[in-house]
Amino acid sequence: MTDIAKLAEIVDEAARTATEIPQFSDTKPLSVDEAYAVQAQSIQRRYARGERRVGIKMGLTSRAKQLQVGVDDVLWGRLTDAMREEEGGEVSMAKYVHPRVEPEIAFLIGKPLSGNVSALEAMAAVQAVAPALEIIDSRYKAFKFDVGDVIADNSSSSGFIIGNWHAPDIDISNLGMILSINGVAGEIGSTAAILGHPVRSLVSAARMVASAGETLNPGDIVLAGGATAAIPMAAGQAVTLDVQNMGTVAFNVVE
Amino acid sequence: MTDQSKIHEAADRLWQAWETGVPGAPIRDLLAEGDVDAAYAVQEINTKRWLGGEERILSGRKIGLTSKAVQNQLGVGQPDYGMLFADMEYMDGEEIPLSRLHQPKVEAEIAYVIAAPLTGQHITMVDLMASIGYVVPALEIVGSRVAGWDIRITDTIADNASSGVYVLGQSPKRVGDFDQRMCGMVMTRNNQPVSVGAGAACMGSPLNATLWLARTMAKAGRALGPGDVVLSGALGPMVPANPGDVFEARINCLGSVRAAFAKE
Repeated sequence: MTDIAKLAEIVDEAARTATEIPQFSDTKPLSVDEAYAVQAQSIQRRYARGERRVGIKMGLTSRAKQLQVGVDDVLWGRLTDAMREEEGGEVSMAKYVHPRVEPEIAFLIGKPLSGNVSALEAMAAVQAVAPALEIIDSRYKAFKFDVGDVIADNSSSSGFIIGNWHAPDIDISNLGMILSINGVAGEIGSTAAILGHPVRSLVSAARMVASAGETLNPGDIVLAGGATAAIPMAAGQAVTLDVQNMGTVAFNVVE
Repeated sequence: MTDQSKIHEAADRLWQAWETGVPGAPIRDLLAEGDVDAAYAVQEINTKRWLGGEERILSGRKIGLTSKAVQNQLGVGQPDYGMLFADMEYMDGEEIPLSRLHQPKVEAEIAYVIAAPLTGQHITMVDLMASIGYVVPALEIVGSRVAGWDIRITDTIADNASSGVYVLGQSPKRVGDFDQRMCGMVMTRNNQPVSVGAGAACMGSPLNATLWLARTMAKAGRALGPGDVVLSGALGPMVPANPGDVFEARINCLGSVRAAFAKE
């Protein structure tokens, strides 16, 4: 028997203290179901400390990343209020193990959404869209993991920064994105890299929360997934994301 | 310095590969290492041969090596250029015969159509933007007369910047209609996304690349002028094409364009 509660405590402590841990798959690989159970229990520990869920993040939303990890579905993790970093503010490396930043689109949910929904139904539940940066930080050594490891570790979710919200009537299918470090373009891409269209990620989000008996509620944020490769963070970086027709979102990295 | 006779030998080697349709050996062994001027001299010999034969006329220029990643790969700090000929143009969706291709790879680009002469010693961004008639999306199908794409900087420059054929989209926009730097790009092959990017992937902006070209061409004596098409450089990674493939590029706020390859 896999001791779900014990593993949940290990990943939660690793995240809380920003300490790296060995991969669970080194001793015994977790099934996808076991891994989500570990994630759910580790998040319960956060709630018990007073954090609250403010949304979810989607991961492996590009075919290239799915092949890298050897799965053919997206995955998800929970966002809590403690993971929110201030737009235009400073992000401390001390809170993280070996963080990376990636460009995303965020949805703000306006109406409850859960289950098997069409793209039309999904968009009808969206109140606003915004450019966003996600800080991903695997708690595992060397940022290496199998699918069970990463799901148990809340899908590497650890921080997020949201830019200006826009009414969802703009076409978000192919917006140019430039992720710059200290003013120099590091990663260049398009929202089209997110499953071909970011709304497909929201459709998957509705399906995946439903399988956990949850719902996307009004006020929830959904991070649609990385549109380019992630860039390793280091103190001294000024990180800026420009998104076509959406503006910028930025933060500075400090020790 | 590269020997003149070697420059002619390099031009002949590439000409031979072009004529027979069979890619050959690289030509870099004939030129001094990294001798870009000699490589352009090779290109110019074959350009004159094509234009002298009266079967080809110039339709514009292409810019290559516009991404940092590709420049780093070839160990150069600047782009390169090649000539476009009218017979290289195919219509949107028209079947492209395999006989016209040499180890084809496809790139999505922004094409500028020049409406006024760009001459003189000090061409500025303002001059450039004022001289652009309109902008269309484009697919460039690059090729190489060097077997296995075994190229260094002098090989690709001598080989007309690895040019092949191209397709222009049919939704002309003015240069002020959209943000050339921020526009998103997605290219599909048989409906699967295979390359994504944005305007900034081309030297920070396709206009930067085009200004470099305008200045370089004015100096080289082949200044850009009315009717010239400029293929400004790839907005995302290039992708190999196989017989029967259909590629589509969508550039946000600019439109779309398709290239269809013959099955056999």
